[in-house]
Amino acid sequence: MTDIPTPAAASARADSVHVAPAPAQRALALHRDLTRVWRNDRGLWGQITAVNHTTLGLRFMGTALVFFAIGGILSMLIRAQLATHQGAFLDTALYNQIFTMHGSIMMFLFAIPMLEGLGIWLLPKLLGTRDMAFPRLTALGYWCYLFGGLIMLTALLFGVAPHDGWFMYTPLSDATHSPGINADVWLLGVTFVEISAVAAAVEITVTILRQRAPGMKLTEMPLFAWYMLGTSAMMLVGFPPLIAGSVLLELERAFGWPFFDPTRGGDPLLWQHLFWLFGHPEVYIIFLPAAGVMSMIIPVMCRTTILGYGAIVAAILALVFLSFGLWVHHMFTVGIPHMALAFFSAASVLVAVPTAVQVFAWIGTMWKGHPQLHLPMYHICGFFLTFVMGGLTGVMLAIVPFNWQAHDTAFVTAHLHYVLIGGFVFPMMAAATYWLPLITGKARIRGVGEAAFWVILLGFHGTFFIMHLTGLMGMPRRIDVYPDNPEWVWLNLTSSIFSFVLTIGFAMFVLDLILQATLGQRTRRDPWDAPTLDWAMPVPSPSYNFASLPISRHLGQSARDAVLSLARGEGALAGAARGRRELLVTSVGVARPHHVAILPGNTALPLYLSASIGVFVLMMLAGQYRLAALALVPVGALIWVWARGMAPAGDLRAVEVAPNLNLPVHHCAQHSLARTGLAAVLVADGTLFVSLLFGVAFLSVVTPATPPPAAGADTVTSLVGLGVIGIALVLAALVGRLNTRSAAALGLGANLLALAALLWLAFSQMDDPTAHARDALRAAVAGYVGLHMLVAAAMAAFVLDQFRRGEITPQTQGALGAWQMWQHFTTAVALLAALVLIAQVGVS
Amino acid sequence: MRWLALLISGPMLWAFLFSLIYALHGWACAGGSGPEGLDGGARMLLIGVWVLGLIAFIPLLRLAPSGQERHQRLPRMAVWIGLAATIVTLFPVTVITSC
Amino acid sequence: MTRPALALCALCLLAACDGPLSTLQPSGPIATEIAWLWWAMLAGAALITVFVLGLLAMGFGAPRKTQARVWTHGLGLWFSMAILGSVLGAGLWVGERILPRDDGAVTVQAHAFQWGWEFTHEDANGAAMRSTDLLHIPAGQPVDVLITSEDVIHSFWVPQLAGKMDAIPGRTNRARLKADTPGIYDGICAEFCGVGHAHMRFTVQAHADWPPDLSDEGTEQQEGAP
Ligand code: HEM
Ligand SMILES: [Cu+2]
Repeated sequence: MTDIPTPAAASARADSVHVAPAPAQRALALHRDLTRVWRNDRGLWGQITAVNHTTLGLRFMGTALVFFAIGGILSMLIRAQLATHQGAFLDTALYNQIFTMHGSIMMFLFAIPMLEGLGIWLLPKLLGTRDMAFPRLTALGYWCYLFGGLIMLTALLFGVAPHDGWFMYTPLSDATHSPGINADVWLLGVTFVEISAVAAAVEITVTILRQRAPGMKLTEMPLFAWYMLGTSAMMLVGFPPLIAGSVLLELERAFGWPFFDPTRGGDPLLWQHLFWLFGHPEVYIIFLPAAGVMSMIIPVMCRTTILGYGAIVAAILALVFLSFGLWVHHMFTVGIPHMALAFFSAASVLVAVPTAVQVFAWIGTMWKGHPQLHLPMYHICGFFLTFVMGGLTGVMLAIVPFNWQAHDTAFVTAHLHYVLIGGFVFPMMAAATYWLPLITGKARIRGVGEAAFWVILLGFHGTFFIMHLTGLMGMPRRIDVYPDNPEWVWLNLTSSIFSFVLTIGFAMFVLDLILQATLGQRTRRDPWDAPTLDWAMPVPSPSYNFASLPISRHLGQSARDAVLSLARGEGALAGAARGRRELLVTSVGVARPHHVAILPGNTALPLYLSASIGVFVLMMLAGQYRLAALALVPVGALIWVWARGMAPAGDLRAVEVAPNLNLPVHHCAQHSLARTGLAAVLVADGTLFVSLLFGVAFLSVVTPATPPPAAGADTVTSLVGLGVIGIALVLAALVGRLNTRSAAALGLGANLLALAALLWLAFSQMDDPTAHARDALRAAVAGYVGLHMLVAAAMAAFVLDQFRRGEITPQTQGALGAWQMWQHFTTAVALLAALVLIAQVGVS
Repeated sequence: MRWLALLISGPMLWAFLFSLIYALHGWACAGGSGPEGLDGGARMLLIGVWVLGLIAFIPLLRLAPSGQERHQRLPRMAVWIGLAATIVTLFPVTVITSC
Repeated sequence: MTRPALALCALCLLAACDGPLSTLQPSGPIATEIAWLWWAMLAGAALITVFVLGLLAMGFGAPRKTQARVWTHGLGLWFSMAILGSVLGAGLWVGERILPRDDGAVTVQAHAFQWGWEFTHEDANGAAMRSTDLLHIPAGQPVDVLITSEDVIHSFWVPQLAGKMDAIPGRTNRARLKADTPGIYDGICAEFCGVGHAHMRFTVQAHADWPPDLSDEGTEQQEGAP
């Protein structure tokens, strides 16, 4: 305490994870300062410009809840129709829209946004930071979700909703068999919504890796963060195949590029592979956050610590990987050879092992501690009862011969609701009842919640348990009438009756939330006596979360012990002295303090950007493809404005984070959050590219051959064109390092040259993409590469502009690093694409 | 970051082998083998790749840190996960009817 | 062996499991093996559920001394691996036994369209006999159905005889059926195929004599030998 701070000492401290505590200040003054800087603008406009993670996380979850209600109403319509065997309640065309929308809403507009919202709302609190890494991106994701969801709902209101089932199998969903915009609504709407999923995945990854409180090692962070890290990694790799598939199918529908049309060299199975390559990981993406909730709440409810932390992390790791090796178990009946089925059957069975490890670790935790039957614990028991059964029927479905019987029957419907409601909805209800005091600052009113639980449990099992039997007795899914099967009538009627009980239960649950928020008494801080940082703050949580950021000594303490010290500013980066939103960025492994990130403030830019993307989507839906292309101009312009907002500006001096610890601001730091974020984006982008290459390989090897028309390309000319592109791009990648204005200009020129050469090749040498799937895929790959060149050129231009403005100096890098990364990626995919093309031509 | 790379190396190797063998199998079956399956050569190829893959885990096991700390045990467990997954998910190359 | 098996099934089953599309009322060896697989898995799953929920119930109470490894490794890893391994083995074994093979089984064709089925078999002269929504097969011997589709994906499913197999445009899939006794069996399209999906039913008639003599049935149209 008494040693005199010298510059040497200060830099030595910067290397250590231990940050010295700061002297205490007046908590109220800190609170006022911070609130002024972090709060949303006032009024409705304030909701539009909000970028704060608490606001947006809650809004994500609230909107997801609304969609859950809508999806629930649709399920009531389904069950009403199925209650009798000649249900005349809905006509078949409408029924098909309703079950498709029920599934799509529940998966894309309820489950995924709900877990994103939970992560966005909770992670910064749990990790001891003030916001997500890219607040504007959070807001962009929300608006894209909302607009995409509204497009789909509007279609339902006008009777043009998707009607091909939530997995949209081609050829049923192609332009011949689904004329009209129904299928386009799904493809465009869901892809629009997926922008938010990818955005959330990028943010969550970066936040967990780089924004943990100093000293919170990766191997010691709360398990929920591990689960979300696994989830977001899976989203980065899992969503691109779906996006690729949707784009290809939309291209087929809009322009006749026959990727999936067997008469022109395409293959309906390619869609199934791309869809399930996403679709199976998807269910683990939904399950992991829920399991994370379990791992957080169970120890607190049992007044102990989690049993087997290491084993659980290993189980997460195993799930993340194995779940990408199961997708074919949705395709056991498409006629794949038995050996391939065996690979996927074995993988599907094996994935139950890490799940079992977690379940037993949780039960072991209960043995170790002293479980107390608070309301969250009810829902946790509901989880165990339901999810264990769902998991076991899952193992049954992984067994190939049994799958041949049960596939596409009500048995599968039962199974999927056991895992989705058991494995996601019950944990989310536990989470809601556990964290609500932190959201509302109110305590629960006893009684309603417990009653709701029992009604839900009864309603759920009453509805879905016998549905297993309905399926085994031969009832396929997705049928609306069954006139010849009196033996299914009583089963369906029972399910339908209980489904109304279930709905009443959910309504009671929501009523409980509303009662608590409105009539509940004020609760004290940290009502559960929890050990984690999310409770080491006032209730309801303030916009800035922590008046000072937790440091090592707060990590070992219970929330109750840490809370006052943090409020008094004894942690790092206390207050908001510089009048801007600041948080601490740390290193990946041991969370060593690295630099200070300055976050953007409230802005409506995310709304504008997503609205302009929305215009593009609507134009595509309307079939106005020229106008759609035009609509991309404002999108590009707004992205430019967005990027301008990241340029170095304001006070760039180092910041005193703690006594004797001065850290640079992110403009002057080497490994900024944006850089980690771009790396995450490139992982997703690379997966998109690999999905396209998978398509190329699949169509050339597995698809029964339909001979393509004679190729019109001239080999020499094409090779020259490819050569020009390759050389220009390699040049662009090399000059990026030079760090000078003229290098940026050269990079811009090289990218434009490559782009011009590509366009010339496309129009002079490429075969008609509508003739054969092979040519269509080549055109799609060329389009992918071309888009990347265009972005690379724009980034080079942006860097050039930054040189002109004097924003790139020896201290500040501006967008130079980002451009370099993007350029390397672009060059690499272009060269790879050229190689694949040459190999494909060579083989055939 | 290095630690994370080490952590995922085992499962990544599994993912690589799984895709490779699945692709090879698809390619071999597309070559016109009847419903009874691959001829001996192609099956031996699959088995060979599988065994080589299993052997490739040995250097990974050696690379994994020793010690009982959590950050040392996790990468080790991860390699075992990859190895176990490779054994369980790909053993069908030895016995199951191929095409 | 199938007769006693069936009798046993009938004993242990509620009448509720019966029905013309019930997988639990199998009428051939393939469906019977799968039904057995189901009953075995059901028994195992019931035991495991009771076991896990029992552990959960016992968890409520005073803290106990626990060893993490017993839970995570003992139960989580080894216990589950042992069970899952045997289920997988059984599944693959049954799968291998019911796979179509090159053993000269009778072949018939099923061509799906929106919304119906066109079936073809050869009569005694090798001429193609077509029928709509009614498939003729021999009883007591394995039959391979070659499945194709005209438009979208459908799925050929006769629950009492075997599992389902998709009809995919551009491909020909092979499914093996076997009916123990002559008779009528119900079939249904199992893959969602548009507004007519629920009505895409068909019947399978298993004949004691093969090729069957259909001269008095009049619904068939004969075509020249291919
Ligand atoms: C509120 C209670 C719910 C009820 C009563 C219910 C009921 C149903 C029914 C009856 C079907 C089958 C329609 C058919 O194929 O014949 C169905 C399908 C489906 N449900 Fe639910 N469901 C509920 C909640 C959920 C939830 C929470 C999720 C996901 C998180 C979900 C996801 C799905 C999916 C993905 C399908 C498949 C749709 C398709 O076949 O395209 N459901 N639901
Ligand atoms: Cu059909």
